Amino acid sequence: MPEKFIQGGVVVVIGLLTVFVVLAILWGVLELMRVIFTAKSKKPAAPAAPAPAPAPVAPAPASAEDDSELIAVLTAAIAASLNQTTTYNLKIKSYRRVDAGIPVWNRTARRDNLIG
Amino acid sequence: MDLFLEGITRFINGTGLAKIFTATADTPLAFAGVDFGTILMLVISCLLIYLAIGKEFEPLLLLPIAFGMLLANLPLSNLLHNVLFVGTGEEEHFVMDFGKILHEGGLLDLLYLGVKLGIYPSLIFLGIGAMTDFSPLIANPKSLLLGAAAQLGVFVAFYGALLIGFDILPAMSIGIIGGADGPTAILVTKTLAPKLLPAIAIAAYSYMALIPIIQPPIMKALTTKKERLVKMKQLRSVSKLERLIFPIIVTIVVALIVPDAVPLVGCLMLGNLIKESGVAERLSKTIQNELMNIVTIFLGVTVGATASADTFLRLETLGIVLLGLIAFSISTAGGLLFGKLMYVLTKGKVNPLIGSAGVSAVPMAARVSQMVGSKEDPTNFLLMHAMGPNVAGVIGSAVAAGVFLTMAKVLF
Repeated sequence: MPEKFIQGGVVVVIGLLTVFVVLAILWGVLELMRVIFTAKSKKPAAPAAPAPAPAPVAPAPASAEDDSELIAVLTAAIAASLNQTTTYNLKIKSYRRVDAGIPVWNRTARRDNLIG
Repeated sequence: MDLFLEGITRFINGTGLAKIFTATADTPLAFAGVDFGTILMLVISCLLIYLAIGKEFEPLLLLPIAFGMLLANLPLSNLLHNVLFVGTGEEEHFVMDFGKILHEGGLLDLLYLGVKLGIYPSLIFLGIGAMTDFSPLIANPKSLLLGAAAQLGVFVAFYGALLIGFDILPAMSIGIIGGADGPTAILVTKTLAPKLLPAIAIAAYSYMALIPIIQPPIMKALTTKKERLVKMKQLRSVSKLERLIFPIIVTIVVALIVPDAVPLVGCLMLGNLIKESGVAERLSKTIQNELMNIVTIFLGVTVGATASADTFLRLETLGIVLLGLIAFSISTAGGLLFGKLMYVLTKGKVNPLIGSAGVSAVPMAARVSQMVGSKEDPTNFLLMHAMGPNVAGVIGSAVAAGVFLTMAKVLF
């Protein structure tokens, strides 16, 4: 077996190991960070950051049921419509189903607003 | 009158057309006195320009690359002197003579120094850092492992290149295509295998553009419908402090283990810190826009200009393009399989589709995960979850590149 195949094998083993070890260490550090920070932030309630609200959302009656899933979907949809890949600067404060009976012109204007 | 005719003859002999029709034996594909190599390169560069403008394949990069190719292959224009950078191939040990480059070099030679010295790839990483939001990764640190698993193709392709006859150093450069990261591939290649630079850069960037075509079939083949339908829990919100600490910690950890990855990872994290700090808005904007655009133009034109007929029209180029595709596919598969493992270990909380985003092309790979996921279930939003492995992949391929650079120093 020529030398280069042995050397190549060494490179593959060391390379894969290093990549996994470095990223695993970072994983550990991040988990540590999460433990530290979530423990701290539990006491004071985090103030809601003011968010850009691209959708014309009006204040809505707060529903008592768990709507975290719906909020997630709405956040992602807004992020997608803004063509951005992050949601941390978006915060849905309220939402309301658009009434199906509104005039067509209102609906068009709303859609135009969304498309921008 | 004779003098007049002689003047005309000399002028004609000095034109590019004359050059094409008086090919010498050492120009590639020279046949019956015509230099088909140059003609073919001009056709290829026009084709690439068409793909960039007509089909919008990574136009920001492909357009400068393609026009650079055109410039470099116009006969007698002599815009880029490859000899100054890689030698004639007859020297035992070629050492770049910077004085000579500065004295004799033209515009493209001087711009090419930025590639040759590894300046552009690092500056591009600075820009990527300033455009990247690491919070999906901080919120779900497990995705770092997906970013690592998706480097599998890098090493498989490396060994594959050895098996089909490439030497170790060129094989490393070919393998890194599997990271799907143009700047990283350029940084590794300019150090380890400068002659392969045009082929590898073009292969790496083409596969980045072809991600939406290459990845979905692999993703569908390796996952079950049930797995693709998994909806993941919404990510927790990440505090500003965490986003500030993250780049600093990553830089320190990576620098301690793989110092050769620091030019890339360090710049990536510097760009990110400048953005996340929120106190240097102007710098952040400049890095994301003007600096990034300027570097992209310089990088594209000069990399394209290295693709002259005699370095590009070789059987090797075909091998590189093929191995690059294999590397890229295996990386995708590696990420997916690791995603499946996580699916099993977390009892179905992780959607394996986000694994394929472990290749580092940001954010295209994450968009593909989103796309494939929403095809199964239009209410499933995987984009944010896929951004985690995606940005982890950038770090992962930079680390893989660092390992190659270190090993090359150690072994030779």
